[in-house]
Amino acid sequence: MTMLTFPLSRIEGHARVEIEINKGKVLSTRFQAMEKRGFSLMVKGVPAEQMPVIVPRICGVCSTAHHVASVKALEDAYGVTPPPLACIIRELLLLGQLIQNQATSLFVFTMPDRLGVESIFHVTEEEADNGVQFNIAKRALMVRQLGTDLITLAGGQFIHPVKAVVGGVSSGVDPGKAAAFQQRVIAALPTARDLVDTYWDISIRMKDRIGTWGDDQPAYYITSTRPDQPNFDSSSIRVMDPLGNCCSEFTASQFFDTLTFEETDYSYAGRTSYKGEVMRANSLARANMTRRMGTPLADGFLTRLRDEFGTPAHPILLFDLCRGIELVYALERAVELLSSPLDDQDTDVPYTPHDGEGWGLVEAPRGPLIHHYIIENGTISTGEFIIPTVHNMLAIERALRVAAERYITADSVNLELEHAVGRVVRAFDPCIACATH
Amino acid sequence: MQPLTDSPSLKTKQLPQFAVLQLSGCAGCEVSLLNANEWVQEFELVYMPLVVSAYEVPCVDVLLISGGVRSDEDLYNLKRAVRCSKKIIAVGTCAISGGVANLGNRDEVRELFMSQTERRDLPRLLPKSQPVDAFVNVDLYLPGCPPTPELFMAALFEDDEFNPSKTVCQECGRKKLKDMKPKHLTGFQSGEVLPDICLINQGYLCVGSSTRGGCRALCTRPGHPCVGCRGPSDLLIEKDSIAWLESIQRVFAALTDIPLEEIRESLLSPQLALFLFQFSDYAATGRPPRPKEKVL
Ligand code: SF4
Ligand code: SF4
Repeated sequence: MTMLTFPLSRIEGHARVEIEINKGKVLSTRFQAMEKRGFSLMVKGVPAEQMPVIVPRICGVCSTAHHVASVKALEDAYGVTPPPLACIIRELLLLGQLIQNQATSLFVFTMPDRLGVESIFHVTEEEADNGVQFNIAKRALMVRQLGTDLITLAGGQFIHPVKAVVGGVSSGVDPGKAAAFQQRVIAALPTARDLVDTYWDISIRMKDRIGTWGDDQPAYYITSTRPDQPNFDSSSIRVMDPLGNCCSEFTASQFFDTLTFEETDYSYAGRTSYKGEVMRANSLARANMTRRMGTPLADGFLTRLRDEFGTPAHPILLFDLCRGIELVYALERAVELLSSPLDDQDTDVPYTPHDGEGWGLVEAPRGPLIHHYIIENGTISTGEFIIPTVHNMLAIERALRVAAERYITADSVNLELEHAVGRVVRAFDPCIACATH
Repeated sequence: MQPLTDSPSLKTKQLPQFAVLQLSGCAGCEVSLLNANEWVQEFELVYMPLVVSAYEVPCVDVLLISGGVRSDEDLYNLKRAVRCSKKIIAVGTCAISGGVANLGNRDEVRELFMSQTERRDLPRLLPKSQPVDAFVNVDLYLPGCPPTPELFMAALFEDDEFNPSKTVCQECGRKKLKDMKPKHLTGFQSGEVLPDICLINQGYLCVGSSTRGGCRALCTRPGHPCVGCRGPSDLLIEKDSIAWLESIQRVFAALTDIPLEEIRESLLSPQLALFLFQFSDYAATGRPPRPKEKVL
């Protein structure tokens, strides 16, 4: 029996893959989260009103999603409904997160796999000479920056936003700043579209080289965005079967009645399943579970995806292509939202804090994110965080097994396996800090 | 701000080598660094697992360390990384004073940690999360949760021109009024904030008056009180946390009619304790103060 171990880079956090083989037969594939953050333990006894500032620190990559989920959990506990303007500003915040995250995953994490380099920050002389990679890096960072700047505009602080508060938001968005930012996004849209086009083309080339789009079996899908257009400030969760039928819709508080959550002894992260079935969350789930994106360029890309792969589409590497679609969508949607005035109405409603229980749900870039708090004497007695990455754990391990079986034979291990492991894991874009909160 | 030059001769000059070691943290520091694009053309990034496939920390000219020391693996990586690196910069609150991880250092929580985190074949958690300088020497401290891209640039380029204000208050631009004296503190989550007027006048527990400048008052400008993530200003950083507590109390006494007891109690609440007092809690940790010349 042999154990192959693959440390991972270009993902968020510390993780590794272990593949156990015996005479060419793959016995198991494990995805291991190597660190333990432990926020559900750490927030015990913390005053409830301080959660929106503390929980973004679960993860600097997904901080915005945690910030908004936290505020929504408290609003649920206190029985408050935020005014429409606050909801728009929160949606902008979540779009900023989506832009930043999808641009990072596409260009910083997975583009090097397609270009055959260690990092887009490594530019060797020849590459700089022919300019391809160089140009991609420069434009990619520019697009990514728009996400960060949108988070700053809508959320105050740029990594750990502060502006969503119980009952609404603490201030509107200054019209001058909104207009100036909108112009920047409009000007950047063609660049983003071209980048996604390029990404799509080099992905096809990679597929031709490796001979697969990732041939795992069909899976169940889970998302909390709406079926008509993806709004990430969500209110219920849906599960879809591999044929595309919606088999369950439920609220955050019904999570544990509908899905199974379990810990494992080989990883600091847990995993979820739906009636014993493997699920997938993240971009491909959303693309499979929406009728349309609702913005012109993104819908063009979605049509292309469906024409080429049908719907629901299952190959693993399509997660990456769907991130491209969402990057364009988020930019277009931000332009729409920035067209209406964002400082002319009430930004918040009054409320009285009290003890109780609350559930907060948003669609984070990696899937449905739930915060669940029980408040006693004004402090958190139970803080639970249900992290999108854990919905993908079983799917990651199953896809790793398919990849391992492809590259391992009785007499040899094809060196391509190491790359395949990286590609599979990065397609799911796991977040280890979150998953081990 | 151009992230990369178009010059093809990028590699012809010898660039200083640069690595980022991420211990237990949220990666927010790395995300912020990625927003500070200019270093890309001035340094050769040899190690930063978030963005580069590389598994061994090499010897480098500049080593940034983020995150706290939480597991035996963190400690091992830290000790290996500093062996042969020339300049060591601790970045972010977690690496410098513990940050949010300190919430896990409370005894009742430590017990839970220890009972719930046994895993076979994985890095083991240390009994407490600790800052980097509990184990190795640090040449420069860059506090912030996370430090802004501008601060990262200033630290990397040793920019003498970069002279931030002493405190967040001086960068904030909100006016302090003599005749608007709240009687009680407003909670952190209390909705709309008046523009241009000091948050203390509006009853918010803002600690910007004693907090190190340099972030350009990122939180207070859009209306959220400063929670002190940059740590104590130069005036206070070599003093014990009591000095900080008292300095904030004096500001509140001048601008509000809020009872001292109320302020004192709130200042000790977790959200503020996360950042504020950790930096200069010398009595509790027994470590010497960080000399102000070493803190950016
Ligand atoms: S200092 Fe703040 S931003 Fe940096 S790793 Fe720690 S929690 Fe994250
Ligand atoms: S205003 Fe205060 S809390 Fe916000 S970034 Fe600056 S120092 Fe940190």
